[in-house]
Amino acid sequence: MIYKVSYVVIGGDYPGGIKNEYERPEPGDVVQIGRVKFRVMEVHEIIPPRDDFQFLHATVKPLHDVAAGEPAKPAGKDKLSD
Amino acid sequence: MELVQILRSVELFQGLSAPQFERLASLGQRLSFGTDEEVFHQGSVGDRMYVIVGGQVEIHFDQAGVPPLYLGSGQIVGEMALLDQGTRSATVISVADDTEVYSITNTDLMALCQQDTAIGFILMRNMALDLSFKLRVKNLGPTTTD
Repeated sequence: MIYKVSYVVIGGDYPGGIKNEYERPEPGDVVQIGRVKFRVMEVHEIIPPRDDFQFLHATVKPLHDVAAGEPAKPAGKDKLSD
Repeated sequence: MELVQILRSVELFQGLSAPQFERLASLGQRLSFGTDEEVFHQGSVGDRMYVIVGGQVEIHFDQAGVPPLYLGSGQIVGEMALLDQGTRSATVISVADDTEVYSITNTDLMALCQQDTAIGFILMRNMALDLSFKLRVKNLGPTTTD
């Protein structure tokens, strides 16, 4: 299964991104979008799966925002850019 | 990794048969870009589309206040010019040392679609689905995606 994921940043003036992942992203994972690392907060399905693809919408927050006061989710695996 | 194997993991090409993948793979070329290298520039003539095979690119809009968008493996860029013959709507820059793209000229892709209308139907349907996905994303979040 391939996960086509839209990463959307909560708040702030940060960019978003779209990429295919071979593992489903989970809350707590770290993802690099451009030059900045973000923590995955929530993951939702946008539309039903089709063929080998699932279509997901993940909200993320910059790592430094999470570290500055919000409780980080249990440590997840790091998802860095390809 | 073999090109056909890579193309099989791209949503745009979902539904193609093995022989159709072979025809598609014979059309384009693989290009590599380093960090900060430009793939194309906003306002330029768009004569080809690109599939991101690896790495990551930044979609940068000249308009003030529009944040950039980042696209990674399996995503397509430059398809709008293929559909509407317009100029590039954004500048695309590699943001990784190992960004690799598969480039197909509009002329070659449209010729293939006309020669084999089954391929043409699948590609145009999948391109529409990709644009629909991006529109849904735009409606959901604060970032723009076209």
